[in-house]
Amino acid sequence: MTKRIAIVEDEAAIRENYADVLRSQGYQVQTYANRETATQAFNLRLPNLVILDIGLNEEYDGGFVLCQQLRAKSASLPIIFLTARDNDFDTVSGLRIGADDYLTKDISLPHLTARISALFRRQEAFNQPVSDEHITQTGALTIDSQRMTITWHNQPIDLTITEFWLVHALAKHPGHVKNRNQLMTDSKIFVDDSTITSHIKRIRKKFAKIDNDFDCIETVYGMGYRWLSAIDNGSSDH
Amino acid sequence: MAVVITKMKATRAFTFRFGLRAKLLLLSSFLFVIPWFGYQYVWEMEKHLRFGQEQTLVGTARALATALHERENLFNNQASFLPNVEQGKDLYGYQLTEAIQLDGLHKDWPSFSSRAHFYHHQQQLFATKPLSLNFKASVGKYDKYLYLFFQVADNQVIFRGNNSRSITSNDHLALSFTDENNQLNRFIISNKKPGWISAFSISENIDDLPTPAPHIQGHWLITPQGYNIELRVPLKTLGDKIAFAFYDVDEADGTAVSAIGSADPSKLESLGTILVPSPEIERIVKGMRYTNSSIWVVDQHHRVLASAGSLKSASGVWQAKEKQPSNDEKKSFWFQFKQQILLPLYYQILTKPPTDFIDEIYDARHLKGEHIVSALKGKAKSQWRLTTDKQALVLSAAYPIFINDNVKGAVIVEETTNGIRTLRNRALEKLFSIILAIMTLGALTFILFATRISSRIRNLSNQAELAIDKQGRITAKMTPSKSNDEIGDLSRSFTTAVNRLSEYNYYLESMSARLSHELRTPIAVVKTSLENLALQEQRASTNNADNDSNTYIERAQTGINTLNLILTNMSEATRLEQMLSATEKVEFDLYTVVSGCVAGYQQVYSCYSFSLKTKLTELKFNGSPEHIVQLLDKVINNAVEFSQDKAITIELKQQNNQIELLVSNNGILLPTQLNESLFDSMVSIRAKSKQEQPHLGLGLYIARLICQFHQGEISALNHQNPDGVTVIISLPINNN
Repeated sequence: MTKRIAIVEDEAAIRENYADVLRSQGYQVQTYANRETATQAFNLRLPNLVILDIGLNEEYDGGFVLCQQLRAKSASLPIIFLTARDNDFDTVSGLRIGADDYLTKDISLPHLTARISALFRRQEAFNQPVSDEHITQTGALTIDSQRMTITWHNQPIDLTITEFWLVHALAKHPGHVKNRNQLMTDSKIFVDDSTITSHIKRIRKKFAKIDNDFDCIETVYGMGYRWLSAIDNGSSDH
Repeated sequence: MAVVITKMKATRAFTFRFGLRAKLLLLSSFLFVIPWFGYQYVWEMEKHLRFGQEQTLVGTARALATALHERENLFNNQASFLPNVEQGKDLYGYQLTEAIQLDGLHKDWPSFSSRAHFYHHQQQLFATKPLSLNFKASVGKYDKYLYLFFQVADNQVIFRGNNSRSITSNDHLALSFTDENNQLNRFIISNKKPGWISAFSISENIDDLPTPAPHIQGHWLITPQGYNIELRVPLKTLGDKIAFAFYDVDEADGTAVSAIGSADPSKLESLGTILVPSPEIERIVKGMRYTNSSIWVVDQHHRVLASAGSLKSASGVWQAKEKQPSNDEKKSFWFQFKQQILLPLYYQILTKPPTDFIDEIYDARHLKGEHIVSALKGKAKSQWRLTTDKQALVLSAAYPIFINDNVKGAVIVEETTNGIRTLRNRALEKLFSIILAIMTLGALTFILFATRISSRIRNLSNQAELAIDKQGRITAKMTPSKSNDEIGDLSRSFTTAVNRLSEYNYYLESMSARLSHELRTPIAVVKTSLENLALQEQRASTNNADNDSNTYIERAQTGINTLNLILTNMSEATRLEQMLSATEKVEFDLYTVVSGCVAGYQQVYSCYSFSLKTKLTELKFNGSPEHIVQLLDKVINNAVEFSQDKAITIELKQQNNQIELLVSNNGILLPTQLNESLFDSMVSIRAKSKQEQPHLGLGLYIARLICQFHQGEISALNHQNPDGVTVIISLPINNN
């Protein structure tokens, strides 16, 4: 069954370019130029994945509104923001109202398709039984690379695809310093240093929500970040 | 390696400021014209007063003269009918103020030496031998007596022999005068010994025996030079003619060898005149002494007939009585202030008329002065003169006295201008006080006004200066003034201008972010199109090996990626600002961060050598470590690019509450004109040809933003020997 992807984007050229590349990947793509037509179509039938722009014609926050409506309809529908707005405020807002990822338009198409397929894979993996071969355990951290989920002290942490790849890249080799470029390659994004910093910050916050004493991601000033395993940390209760 | 850091801040040359207040003060100095006019006015007043005084004085003289006109009896017994007086022969009896003791000493005679007349060979009556005699004589009047004093120089004093009958065969004095009936009375003073004199009356008849004349009393005193005779004659026996002569006898019982005298005492016709101050005129003059003037009446020979008043108390009719302040007034603040401060100040300019001036001593025998000469010619005249010590100005007026159409004398009235001067001083004191009050008030008002204006303008200029910082950015809003005047208008238009500038600045500052945002969509269009094309090419190229168009696509992609990078960099500063506003400061060890970073840079820039100089091992700092790292990245990146010897020195030190981080590299110097603006947005000093990757001059701008977030400062200085640049980052430890 081919996956249906909806693109809501007011810029026709970009919209068609994305549609073309996704179609060439074998997806079924529907494109909408504004919120009204998209809402009408989504009321009839929900797609398997939605790519949203934030600003839609005159509506400055049209994408956010649409995202909220979709999230109300389905809790599991993958939603990706693909926008020209690269500030922290919009990123945080987008993720808070339920988007699975927040990407800027300078992302390359292969990176975009990689994310989309990763999201589908994660969705499919949820329907399949958990297989141990995809699970790696580092201290209190459990990574399921199949489902792309992470648990900390057996509590699931809700991470975006980018964040998951970042944690994955760090935790794969505990104690090793990963510099920003390596992290960018691993998480299939190309952003400036400060964006990496904000990503790391957000990840820390998500862990800290569950475990106030979480300090496994260490900043090695001037070089990058490294994962400190619970044993090194000395705070393990396993 | 000696690193010399030269401060390149230009020192502002000091220029003289001529502020508003100074200008207003200068303008208000025209107020000083007012006291000058007042002063001139008072001087004018004084001139008129003097003129008035002159008239009054002439009036006084005329009034007195009127009382003396045609009163022949006052003058006829005097020697006034003489055409001229002969010194030594016509005598003048000075009015003596003190009683004379008849002791043969002249110490109780006032100014004896100047008043005495010297008799010598010119006055000799006869001489058979060379002259061995001369004498000085002075005449004075006190109460009812005429006093005579003789100081005789004689080589040999011969007294009358004890048994001698003759009274002339020894040194003797012959004294003759007329009585009231113009009868000649002759006397011989001939002593047997020093002491009380023996006076004898003699007659024309030689056979008549001399009879003692006890009413002539006196003293004979032997002196080293000769002898002194001091005697007195009752005035009632005295007419207006007199003569005296000394006869010198050089041997006992000898005959007179010579005689010197005022005139020949033996004949009535040859007698000289004697003038004594007239009691009758004095009585009339006394009635005038209440005029605050000094009054003299002289005869036609300038001899004083009567006088009244003293010049020292003669201040004129303007002599105002000084009102004595009451005790209450004396205690008042104003009185004290006036006495202690104002009056001493005024009398720096004004002169108090002296009460104790020294004037020439009149010779009552002969008053001098043009006005007297003129008056004695029949013409009233007044004149001004200074006292001898030039302390007081004296006004004197002379008026002739007529008897039978002939001038027989003159009235001289004298006054000082002290009265007028006192009056003038008082007027000036008042004037000065008022002017001082007005000027103080005026100056205060001026100063207050000027201060208010200048403080408002200064306030405005401070606001304007604060509103725009060194980099030309708007840092603060101005509050428009509410006052409805020109300065208020200025303030309002300034505010409007600053606000407009601020809007424009905001537009400029956000332009790069907006530009990057706007460009992002078309770039995304190009980029996605290219990528699609590349994908299609890839698929097609598996069929045929035509790589030509592939190359172009790759080049286009490289270009678009660079463009994308530029856009990202452009919005980096904006994003950083947004991020910083949401960043919380945490305490961290700055030393660890810096040393970690230096180690990291050594890895990244492996062909450069980094050295960290510090004595610290731990440095707690409150801030955002990520941003400090970003700051270091930018500065190090800059240093690496400009380094020539591939050596970069990082120095970390703590000074009191200030952390200093110095990053030095050796290489080209900074151009001086870029010193201030180096840390501004979009400022770059890189040579255009050298660029390998795009530079927007945002790196150091970002560094400055981070420094500002930590309340720190960043600056760049050139250092010499070897040439290079040091970037100084100073961060306060307490930066909350």
